[in-house]
Amino acid sequence: MISRVLVPMDGSEMSEHALEYALEAYPDADITVLCVVGEPSSMWGSATGLALADDLEVAAQEHAQSTFDRARELAADADDDATLETVFELGHPVRAILDRADDYETVVVGSHGGSLSDRLFVGNVAEKVVRRSPVPVVVVR
Amino acid sequence: MVETVLLVGVVASVFVGFNIGGSSTGIAWGPAVGAGLLRKVTAAALMTVFVFLGGWTVGRNVMDTLSGDIISIEISLAAGVAVLFFIGLGILIANVFGVPVPTSMTTVGAIAGLGLATGTLNYETITWIISWWVVTPVLGLWIGATVGRYIYPELNRRFEIRASEGPLLALDRNGSLPTPTLGPNTTTQELAGTIVVFVIGCYMAFSAGASNVPNAVAPLVSSGALEVDTAIVIATVAIGLGGFTIARRTMESVGSELSDIPLLAALIVMLTASTITTALSWIGIPISLVMASVMTIVGLGWGRATRPITAREAIRGDTDAELAMGALTAESDAPITKIGEAESEEALDAGDLFNPRAIVKYVSMWIIGPAMSTLLAYGFFVAVGIS
Repeated sequence: MISRVLVPMDGSEMSEHALEYALEAYPDADITVLCVVGEPSSMWGSATGLALADDLEVAAQEHAQSTFDRARELAADADDDATLETVFELGHPVRAILDRADDYETVVVGSHGGSLSDRLFVGNVAEKVVRRSPVPVVVVR
Repeated sequence: MVETVLLVGVVASVFVGFNIGGSSTGIAWGPAVGAGLLRKVTAAALMTVFVFLGGWTVGRNVMDTLSGDIISIEISLAAGVAVLFFIGLGILIANVFGVPVPTSMTTVGAIAGLGLATGTLNYETITWIISWWVVTPVLGLWIGATVGRYIYPELNRRFEIRASEGPLLALDRNGSLPTPTLGPNTTTQELAGTIVVFVIGCYMAFSAGASNVPNAVAPLVSSGALEVDTAIVIATVAIGLGGFTIARRTMESVGSELSDIPLLAALIVMLTASTITTALSWIGIPISLVMASVMTIVGLGWGRATRPITAREAIRGDTDAELAMGALTAESDAPITKIGEAESEEALDAGDLFNPRAIVKYVSMWIIGPAMSTLLAYGFFVAVGIS
């Protein structure tokens, strides 16, 4: 029985499917939604914006908030016993996910996130997580 | 026949200039437009004027390098048109994939490819140019890091630039002559801030003109097919056209990257990047505005993220850690012990934002871009046998 599931979300539709799947497949599990903010981008605006913020935590929280709100909506729709926890991390998504994966039994990820340029700067997160994760990974597509 | 080739060349020039106009208007005016200090049309108009000034003055030095110094023979009209197509291809790839491909580097790469194919490459010049391409990002990074680490927090305390409700200036009609006064809600600081944004935007537009006008037309100038003055005007018109049309979009894409950082930081980036670009253009080095900008942005953030922790900040750090604990586990039902565990090893570290490997991967795109254009142009010119 899986009881601790990590669902990394980047605000994309694909990552919402991942959460929907996790809610459906593990109705009794504690699900943690992980949102990574300040990832590398074409001009590093988001990373530098966070670094320059007066209060890093508050700024990062703001960036992640819309994703968390959406996640809670989805959880409310699913209406099951799963408890939803939200965490955010800074920097490179793959590293952030792998750093946390150890504490969970399963990681559920969407097969791909944003645009082509995101892929170029960050790479295919799902692929790298599958290859290097210490725990089983479910890729939702 | 010559007229047809020239016409094709000018069309290619306009395409290149048009796209340059789109992207560099986004960088120069995106932050100001994003902050609501300026309308997009005003930005495009200012852009056109200052691009022309930059191209007409400092840009001539870069024009000389591109059209006469990289290869020892003149670039024939046909070869010039082919070179322009490679520059256009680079820009097209940049737009389609959303990657910042530095146009100046693509241009030099394509001309160098022609030089290699014809055995006329001026190695001394190309080495000189490439060595500046290595120095520039390092310089931008260093300036950004120094400012971010030691100066930015202090500046940030003192300056606040924002747009208040209502017009910036109003006309005071009480006197015998109507005189401009501050608008409702406008503070003197806001007026000063807005002027600074204007001036720096114009400066950046000037440096964009100095570095980018030659990219669009230098291959046609070399053979004498176009007079330098005519060429500068054509490039300016094309860049202006891009500024008035596609820049509406790039101000939101490229500009939004810049508006992710505070306006003050964006201004520091623009000032640094423009100065580097103008200075190098002055000595005839083709340099990309984007390259200097990005490295200054990374430097600023990295410098701030890794700043030395002073005693006062260390004390504040304690409260931050508590905040982090609360934030990290927002709406959590997890037992308290788990929260404790998570907090002890997982406090947010701003240093994580600048993963060295991600930065290296990013910079490698700048090496791949020009290398590709050199190889493609070389292959093309060898295959076609143009000299």
